[in-house]
Amino acid sequence: MNVIYPLAVPKGRRLCCEVCDAPAERVCTACTVTYYCGVVHQRADWGSIHEKICQLLIPLRTSMPFYNSEEERKHGLQQLQQRQHLIEFCYTVAQKYLFEGKHEDAVPAALHSLRFRMNVHGLSSVELVPAYLLLAEASLGLGRIVQAEEYLCQAQWTVLKSTECSYATHSLLHRNLGLLYMAKENYEEARYHLANDIYFASCAFGTEDIRTSGGYFHLANIFYGLKKLDRADTLYTKVSEIWNKYLNNHYQVLSQARIQQIDLLGKRFETDTGLDEAQEAEAIRILTSIWNIRESTSDTAPQKTIFVLKTLVMLYHLMMNSSKAQEYAMRALDLAREQQLSDQEQNSIQDLLSLISAEDAHPVT
Amino acid sequence: MTTLPPLPMTRPKLTSLARQKLPCSPTTAPRSQLIKEKNDIDHYLEENFKGLSKEEVAAYRNSYKKNIYVDMLRDGYHKSFTELFSLMEQWDAVRDPARFGSLFLQRPLEEQRDKLDHFYHYLTRAEVAERKEYFEDVYNNLYALACYFNNSEDRWVRNHFFERCFKIAQLIKMDGGKKEAEAHGNMGLLFEEDGQLLEAAEHYEVFHQLTHGRMWKDETGRFLNLLACESLLRTYRLLSDKMLENKKYKQAIRILIKAAEIAKEGNDRKMEGEASYYLGLAHLAAGEYETALTVLNTYSKISTELDDDLSLGRAYEAIAKVLQSQGEMTEAIKYLKKVVKIARNNFQNLDVVRASTMLGDIYNEKGYYNKASEYFQQAFDTTAELTNIPLMDETKVHYGIAKAHQMMQTVKNYIESADLTSLDYLLSWKESRSNIAPDPITAESRRSTMENLPQNSEHLEEELSGFPDIQKNET
Repeated sequence: MNVIYPLAVPKGRRLCCEVCDAPAERVCTACTVTYYCGVVHQRADWGSIHEKICQLLIPLRTSMPFYNSEEERKHGLQQLQQRQHLIEFCYTVAQKYLFEGKHEDAVPAALHSLRFRMNVHGLSSVELVPAYLLLAEASLGLGRIVQAEEYLCQAQWTVLKSTECSYATHSLLHRNLGLLYMAKENYEEARYHLANDIYFASCAFGTEDIRTSGGYFHLANIFYGLKKLDRADTLYTKVSEIWNKYLNNHYQVLSQARIQQIDLLGKRFETDTGLDEAQEAEAIRILTSIWNIRESTSDTAPQKTIFVLKTLVMLYHLMMNSSKAQEYAMRALDLAREQQLSDQEQNSIQDLLSLISAEDAHPVT
Repeated sequence: MTTLPPLPMTRPKLTSLARQKLPCSPTTAPRSQLIKEKNDIDHYLEENFKGLSKEEVAAYRNSYKKNIYVDMLRDGYHKSFTELFSLMEQWDAVRDPARFGSLFLQRPLEEQRDKLDHFYHYLTRAEVAERKEYFEDVYNNLYALACYFNNSEDRWVRNHFFERCFKIAQLIKMDGGKKEAEAHGNMGLLFEEDGQLLEAAEHYEVFHQLTHGRMWKDETGRFLNLLACESLLRTYRLLSDKMLENKKYKQAIRILIKAAEIAKEGNDRKMEGEASYYLGLAHLAAGEYETALTVLNTYSKISTELDDDLSLGRAYEAIAKVLQSQGEMTEAIKYLKKVVKIARNNFQNLDVVRASTMLGDIYNEKGYYNKASEYFQQAFDTTAELTNIPLMDETKVHYGIAKAHQMMQTVKNYIESADLTSLDYLLSWKESRSNIAPDPITAESRRSTMENLPQNSEHLEEELSGFPDIQKNET
């Protein structure tokens, strides 16, 4: 049975819904420690994140708060560490949903992340800020601007009050503020905040890092929206260059390692991008949108389109998604032929294509 | 290179806010607009709003450096941002490691607002020009920035911008290579200051080639070709100096011959003359006396043409040196006398000293001790006017040696005769070290120098005690 009667609950104990904090009427039968106010919310949560963390929640939520022996104290410590892991996991899942554009699904996951962080770090710690930012982004995606603004104000206040906020957090905060103002169409403010974002990201990671590229991308979007195409253009070029360099480097390192390892083990390395899922999703989104924009101007500057396409090809190849990789490579080749670019370009694309097909033919053992 | 006058620069918004003092009652409309977040601010409130807009808060809270960065990025100038960011990192890296003395002297860049403003102004303009591919504009802006940083502590910033100018100049094709030539000149200057003379020479050579035959002028109105020749000659001379130190005569002479040819092409007699002078000196060092003489004769001819007494003096001195090495003493003496006359006419005391010393030296070697000491005395007197202590000491030494030589004959006679009077004279001399009684045989020669002996007795004591080996050689 998965229906709960609120009145039957012991006195003083209030069971609240995971998603909306209303009095709970239902319980998840798989784990029996998660409560919901209705079917709608239960379904939403299950689809979003509960499916993945269902069993993990059990030890967390049934722990005895009274530690009367050494084992239980150790148990308590372990729980705390598990929570940490859970936080990261929720956070990543929520981010991935956001980058894929599934804002609805992102919300429960982000809420979980927030709640766990509150449990571990307290109510006004800096650690809460990334969770707030995620929620804000999700709300923005769903079009709930007021709610997003609320979350962002909370985040900003926390940042202002705390003394050791890292550059990365500042950068993320400003990025979200920038996105908020973009949604509100206040482009001046948006530019200001994105400029801050890029500055902090550069302080934290360097000016040519992939994490800084997000800021550049959004700034470019603003300029594109304002029809200042030359500025948008240079910024897009910069973004594609950053990603291209990163992927190239990664690929070189991998192939080097593979050449060395293949003698010892006779096994082949799995290719990977070195990014986590959220970053991969972000990369895909950024590069695809740049490509779309370039498509519209491909007559005047085909090299740039081809550049982006090659980067995309490499990304998909490293993500082991060879069908998409091939598709993009074919497109690049066609474009090159159409525009009658130099033989060098065509040859390089051909090489890339053959490389991918070769990889395809020898599947990873 | 000239420094530009301070421009009225377009300051970006945040920084202009940061530079103003906080007004007590803001009356400017834009400010109320900035602060206005609710839609209903009435006129009274607008006039007397005492608050800060978000931007003003940011302007005061953040460091000036951050304001500059944010302003750059806001307008989309990401390349300027990247460049400034990396320059700042280098700046910090240069200042930090263990240089505690200079650390206190040099203010951190965050506080040097003018420099940051300049960076913003020129870098953003350069970026705009680069987008439109007006490379000349880019070059001009970068060059202005380089000129601004032409002071001793920011030299590496200037060098960085010179290198960038150089790369950009390679892309400029429209003006027939003038900017490229200038860029080569700048790079040559960079390397010359750094001490890498070979690279400097390379760049200057290209500079010279490009400006050959063209009538370009730089901002001060001087011909670029002339500038190229001068720089090239200077570098060649420095190179050859180094080579002469290492005794690589052939190479040095080869380079100087090249320099002389270039000077001839440059149509500047003075440079030509100087080139010949150095060539002559190099030949002298290498031991090729005949060629040295011919070259130096050309130099003296040019100097007489130009009516340049100083260089004429130098020429004669060099010729005299050559003749001295060859052994032609009389000729050498003639030239040296000419030198002394010219130098005295032009109040060139150092030259007088040098020439008189050389004369005295020659006479000393030949045995005419009187003349030698006469010239050395001249030299000593002139250095006394100059109050140059090391030089005075040197001339004192020479003078003392000459005087000793003068005395030598008398002392020898006294020692040889070994009769009572002579011994008496010797003893008194040894005791007092002042006058030695005139030997009746050589009385005349002594008389002229008697007055001078008391003056110089102390010097003689020093010298004679310090240079016993000279006497040993003579006797």
